Amino acid sequence: MSSELLTKLSECVEFGKINLASPYPPQMKGLPGADEITKEALESGVTPGEILNDALISAMNKVGQKFSENKIFVPQMLLSAKAMGASMIHLKPFFANGSVQRKGVFILGTVFGDLHDIGKNLFGMMVEGAGWEVIDLGIDVKIEKFVEAVKQNPTAVVGISALLTTTMVNMKPVIEAIKAISPDTKVIVGGAPLSSDFAAQIGADGYGKNPQEGIVWLDKLTA
Amino acid sequence: MSNFINQILQSEKTLAFPIMTHPGIEALGKTVREAVSDGEIHYQAIKYISEHFDTIACTSIMDLTVEAEAFGAIINLPEHEVPSVTGRLVNDLKSVGSLEVPTLDKGRIPQYLLANKLAAENIRSKPVFSGCIGPFSLAGRLYDMSEILMDIYIEPDVVNQLLEKCTEFLVNYCRALKATGTTGVIIAEPAAGLLSDDDCMMYSTVFVKQIVDAVQDDNFTVILHNCGNTGHCTNAMIASGARALHFGNAINMEDVLKQCPENVVVIGNLNPVGVFKQGTESSVRKATQKLMTETAGYKNFVISSGCDLPPFVPEENIRVFLETVKSNNV
Ligand code: B12
Repeated sequence: MSSELLTKLSECVEFGKINLASPYPPQMKGLPGADEITKEALESGVTPGEILNDALISAMNKVGQKFSENKIFVPQMLLSAKAMGASMIHLKPFFANGSVQRKGVFILGTVFGDLHDIGKNLFGMMVEGAGWEVIDLGIDVKIEKFVEAVKQNPTAVVGISALLTTTMVNMKPVIEAIKAISPDTKVIVGGAPLSSDFAAQIGADGYGKNPQEGIVWLDKLTA
Repeated sequence: MSNFINQILQSEKTLAFPIMTHPGIEALGKTVREAVSDGEIHYQAIKYISEHFDTIACTSIMDLTVEAEAFGAIINLPEHEVPSVTGRLVNDLKSVGSLEVPTLDKGRIPQYLLANKLAAENIRSKPVFSGCIGPFSLAGRLYDMSEILMDIYIEPDVVNQLLEKCTEFLVNYCRALKATGTTGVIIAEPAAGLLSDDDCMMYSTVFVKQIVDAVQDDNFTVILHNCGNTGHCTNAMIASGARALHFGNAINMEDVLKQCPENVVVIGNLNPVGVFKQGTESSVRKATQKLMTETAGYKNFVISSGCDLPPFVPEENIRVFLETVKSNNV
């Protein structure tokens, strides 16, 4: 029973079925989605940990894989992330009361000067699905705003996104300012024009070419 | 077949058509904010480019906010950077339903029409191209880009209604641009490149085609620009009926040329930042030569930047690019 629900949930996330009302994907129209199945699973005794690990995370890995092979595109990936979010809502109380541990707090924003946010949003949703609490600072995020967020969440990990060759250089002063007030805070950077060499040059601790790489790096921090 | 397209297809040489206005704005000592707000300054910048660079045509500013502003979106106008849209104007059936298709006297539209008119009337040495945003990218600016990407599947009716309104406006705007006397329009549709070929066809091409059908003829050419296409939605671009297609640097030009019909002009795609802005004379020369070698033999190819050149590109790099094109042609 429980494994059947986990399989169903995993499919909902893989194919972007958010809830009963959502007409997408067409072949699952009229069927319950991640929202309803998660509820049902919790009621029938499946643990939040099982839901997270055996359904959500594994499904998102498949999604990431298909995206990197050009089998699906940004809309499908966003829908999968949204389906995962619909499931996560039901897990929130368990995170809040401590019966399931969040892996940590992740502060995320697009660097100042830059307004691209699709990749950042996608990464944020996937990090949340991987068990982190995500604080999204939005786009065009100034140094002070990152610093303030770190002050308020001293144990958080920080992620910065940039899509322009002209703004990726703005990441360096952000990292310097964060490290100046909190030398142990880890920072990961990403975005299409970046490379791991560039990330190292500007003093970032990590780089993710895609969300999966970013999540693998984050998970190593907690291991 | 239009004169502009004919001239290209019949030329023995590779012609150069970088998309740029910022070098003109800077040479005049004006700010981006001044140029995107004042049609006279905008025109002077186009004129400067037409006189100082040996290109086959010049363009108006690629400003992807004028149309959204006309719809009522709030715009941020920095002094030295391209403007941007802030926030979300519509989000559901109700707000999309009550969204009015703006008339052409809203926001900075009159200044853009003025710049195009002055340029078309006074620049005699070469064709002037107008510019506008594409329907899907405009809808994304009004609705939020991430949200529209999902709602093409969840709320297709809302998205279609919004796309219809955007298209109605763009048809009117392009008709007015055509009436200024320019040679054509570059429709910038970057966000459609995030869609699969099928979705690009349904949520971009169908609407772009309405604009093409309304304005394209022998005296007015539509150039469809999509720098988000990495090779997966070229068919959808071709299906728009635009006589010229403009590609970004994320695509392989040789592959595109193989895929596109010979009578469609294919334009692209040197990296506007990596090559033009950050490159050195020698790296610009190398990149230009490489692209020319790869595309040699294709008479429908025009060499260009993969997107609009951003502010503060060294003028020297543009000159080296143009000289390299020239010297490779003999
Ligand atoms: C959509 C788009 C836009 C939309 C943005 C809408 C939005 N809300 O984001 C609009 C139309 C508004 C836009 C505007 C501009 N754009 Co634009 N845009 C694009 C486009 C087509 C797609 C970008 C995208 O969303 N990709 C999809 C996402 C999923 O990919 P991604 O962001 O790379 O994210 C992935 C990874 O990088 C990673 N990731 C991302 N962030 C992070 C963070 C971390 C921590 C980690 C681990 C991973 C990670 O995960 C994601 C999933 O795999 C690209 C072209 C292209 N093919 O990339 C141009 C592009 C990025 N834009 C470009 C330009 C120049 C501009 C403008 C300056 C244009 C202009 N003249 O106005 C303005 C800039 C405004 C500004 N100040 O930011 C250039 C950049 C050139 C350069 N090298 O600097 C590009 C490359 C186009 C081109 N070929 O010239 N753009």
